[in-house]
Amino acid sequence: MKLYSSLLILLFQLSSLFAQEDNCIHSVEGEILDIETKQAIPYVTVRIKGTERHTTTDIDGKFLFENLCTETNTLIISCFGYCETVCEHNHQHGKSPHIYLTQEVMGLETVLIEAENKKEEGTASIAQINLNKAELQLNPTQSMAAALSGEQGITFVSSGSNVQMPVIHGLYGNRILVLNNGMKHGFQNWGIDHAPEIDISAAHSITVIKGAAGVRFGPEAIGGAININPNPLHLNKTTYAKIGTSYQSNGKGYNAGFETGTGFEKWSYFINGNYTKIGDRHAPDYMLTNSGKEEKSFGLGTRYHLKDFDFKLYYSYIDQNLAFLRSSIAESGDAFVKAINSDRPLFIRPFSYDINEPNQLTTHHLAKAEINWYYADDAKLTLIAGKQLNLREEYDVRRNADKPIINLDLTTSDYQLEWKHPEWLQLDGFIGFQIFNQDNDNNPGTGTTPFIPNYNTNRFSSFIIESKRSGKNTFEIGLRFDHETSDIRGRESNNDVFKDNYSFSNLSTSVGFIRKINHHSTFRTNIGTAWRSPNMAELYSFGQHGFKNSFGLLRYYTNEDGDLKTDKVIAMKDSKVKPEKGYKFVNEFSTHNNNNSHHITLYGHYIENFIYDRPYGVYGTIRGPMPAYIYVQSDAVFLGADYSWKHELTQRLSGTFGLSYLWSKNISENEPLINQPPTSISYQLAWKKAKLGVLENSVVALKPSYTFTQYQAPRTVPPEDLIDGSEIITPESPIFDFKDAPDGYFLLDLSWNFQWKDVQAGFIIKNITNTAYRDYLNEMRLFADEPGRNFLLTLNYTIN
Amino acid sequence: MKTIENLKTYGLIAILFLGITLTSCNNDDDEIPDAENHEEIITNVKLIFTPTTGAVVEARAQDPDGEGLEELEILDEITLAADTDYTLTFEIMNNLEEPGEDIGKEINEEADEHQIFFGFTTDAFSTPTGTGNISGSSTINYLDFDENQNPLGLQTSWSTGTGTQAGEFTVRLQHQPDIKDDTTGATDGDTDFELTFVLNIQ
Repeated sequence: MKLYSSLLILLFQLSSLFAQEDNCIHSVEGEILDIETKQAIPYVTVRIKGTERHTTTDIDGKFLFENLCTETNTLIISCFGYCETVCEHNHQHGKSPHIYLTQEVMGLETVLIEAENKKEEGTASIAQINLNKAELQLNPTQSMAAALSGEQGITFVSSGSNVQMPVIHGLYGNRILVLNNGMKHGFQNWGIDHAPEIDISAAHSITVIKGAAGVRFGPEAIGGAININPNPLHLNKTTYAKIGTSYQSNGKGYNAGFETGTGFEKWSYFINGNYTKIGDRHAPDYMLTNSGKEEKSFGLGTRYHLKDFDFKLYYSYIDQNLAFLRSSIAESGDAFVKAINSDRPLFIRPFSYDINEPNQLTTHHLAKAEINWYYADDAKLTLIAGKQLNLREEYDVRRNADKPIINLDLTTSDYQLEWKHPEWLQLDGFIGFQIFNQDNDNNPGTGTTPFIPNYNTNRFSSFIIESKRSGKNTFEIGLRFDHETSDIRGRESNNDVFKDNYSFSNLSTSVGFIRKINHHSTFRTNIGTAWRSPNMAELYSFGQHGFKNSFGLLRYYTNEDGDLKTDKVIAMKDSKVKPEKGYKFVNEFSTHNNNNSHHITLYGHYIENFIYDRPYGVYGTIRGPMPAYIYVQSDAVFLGADYSWKHELTQRLSGTFGLSYLWSKNISENEPLINQPPTSISYQLAWKKAKLGVLENSVVALKPSYTFTQYQAPRTVPPEDLIDGSEIITPESPIFDFKDAPDGYFLLDLSWNFQWKDVQAGFIIKNITNTAYRDYLNEMRLFADEPGRNFLLTLNYTIN
Repeated sequence: MKTIENLKTYGLIAILFLGITLTSCNNDDDEIPDAENHEEIITNVKLIFTPTTGAVVEARAQDPDGEGLEELEILDEITLAADTDYTLTFEIMNNLEEPGEDIGKEINEEADEHQIFFGFTTDAFSTPTGTGNISGSSTINYLDFDENQNPLGLQTSWSTGTGTQAGEFTVRLQHQPDIKDDTTGATDGDTDFELTFVLNIQ
């Protein structure tokens, strides 16, 4: 076991040969050794970041790169199987940086070394994506979902420009688990108009797991999980400070933020803060009245390190005021017909920073404590305790617009104990226990029936994940048990109280396999299950929220005459409602040779009791005929592929082609699903130049993309046909939508990133051609176009 | 030294666990959401035609479950006497609550955000003539106004002609926050109710 307490030494001989007319004359040469044994480590992959150049160390642990065009290079060392166990452990101990080098630098100004982003423990066999700080800070004003949506297989659903939720392989909302600092982000996770309150400019990195990660992370990780990692609080790091600011032309938005911290020998800390304000955005042809936002965030963390113990404390705070398009409010059938048939939104006013109704005010506090106990060289015990408080007020256009129509306090507690056990029968793995609790309370004074009842949910979970490596193969297997109980107290619209109490249990499993075919190619495959219980809106929605009148699964039933009735609340035990359960099969193949790299992900996903809301029809009310939506459950199948191909055209020019395709179907009713992502293709041409006048490390990227119309959308039944009775809908009628899926659209984006002394700068133009288009996954597509051309300038100044 | 280190460690762990225990004692309350006064829902609308002489005519519409899927019911026809002057007033209620909430009172308090518009079969009345102001063809005789002297419509005056008539009568309450002025019409803002009754004049 000596190996585990040792470190790697990297020996580099870096030489710049013939400094002549061609700039691509730099080279890097090195040797990778185990620090303690001084044994060479063969077959370690070394890559030059930002290029497709890579090599592996030979039997003597040596590697060489020639004809490099840049003086500054970042090497990514992927010591598959070695570093994962060795480096992480030592790094956590903070004994010293886990990779360091004794180097002889010749002709090279800087060599930066970064360890390869580690796969999330327990999900190594599932396709994943990692976004680092540098990528995130290019556009600090965008939402988390928008930041991720550049990746294959990920897009977002939105409710205007401010509320965007990531979609992984066609699933979103409660089917994607958002982990904020390792804990489930405790927010009002229901409806398309509630996105997680996450400030991406405070995140250190984001990992997206594109498979059923239910075993590792628990319920809701049906379609995948998104892990937002905070500052890792490295020790032995000199004081650093970053100040960033940005401006965007569309919405005249601005942002300012800072982060500072120090890593001492035994402890470290960081502090960060951000402020963003955006006014009304505009579509190419008109103002999107009431589409601004204001966001304030603040975070801090500290770490204290002892020989065998490591303590971390985090706190973060975010406060948002998000505006929703004024024209999306239609309080009668006539108004709805008029709003969705109008080419222009019905409310267009001059630009303003003001945020009026409809809008949402949310505040989210997160506090977390984490202890790691390294009781043996290759084992540790981790204890995490977290508390989150989510306060939400929603305002609507109505007679009492000054009172919130929704006013909820949600308290989330999360306790996790994980034991990474010592190697046992050649098995590597860990065992975990979790207690999760949510307490939701309505605040009085809304002047309306609570849309979501008061509830308490308690969940107890335990899981085990083991992996075994033999040669080029790694096997991974996991098992998890969850037991969840909920206690519900709500009110009907006549103020009668209803109560319910129910529980669900589930066993989730996961089996995975990774094969390193050769130095260039890796294949990984995983079959995983995940589940979730229906959320409160899916169960108890009753009446108006936004422009919809929705009825939850426990709020309607069909009587003997086949009519839908909503005169009582159904108890869970008397209903047919079942938890949703998903089985996802994901395969990822990646390969790279000299100038090309390919990533292919193929997946198949079967979801039992898939819950979704769909237009039901129109019904007579005192306001006139109103469109109604109901929640339903069916079995669904999703099949899809993500493909990306990066190739080096020349030393400076590289191209990346991306394609995402998804086919989905409701197999219980044999009909299409609604709101599924359409096929999209993109190509990015990037040109790199080390020196451009005084500017360094310029990267100019041009990205054309095309999103197809959604050919699999349900048929269209305009609400006016339902109102005048020319179309009759019964509970047996096939699914329909109120409006056609929008046409396909072409977008062109341009970005230029460069460095000038200690300033990292980015200049982005989104939608250069100022194309007017509507996005199928934006709920506001019924009422208005997407925002038009946007210029964005970002400056980040680093003081070390 | 070793002992001090250990003490420090266990101390820190003890503090952390204490923190967890303290913060985890607030669960499992059984609080029920407070009862709310529903100021938005309208379940019952009554049109009251009061003649200068003779019997008062009332016509009712109701949607007893408010936001529920139950269909709206128009309970009465409007049967007016010929050659008579009427004042039309409203009773607008939310009867989901006990006792019912008078929404008409609230509309009156927010007169500058509301207006009732009317539509009827062509020339059903001698005044106003035409088809009413939902279509925009005629001027209604409003008797009540908001602070900006714009009409409200909780009180209007009507005169029937000498002949008999059979047709329809529509009332529409529009909510026009921030936009109501002397130019706003029946399609501006959002509809709070829209009800069509059978109209007989005999």
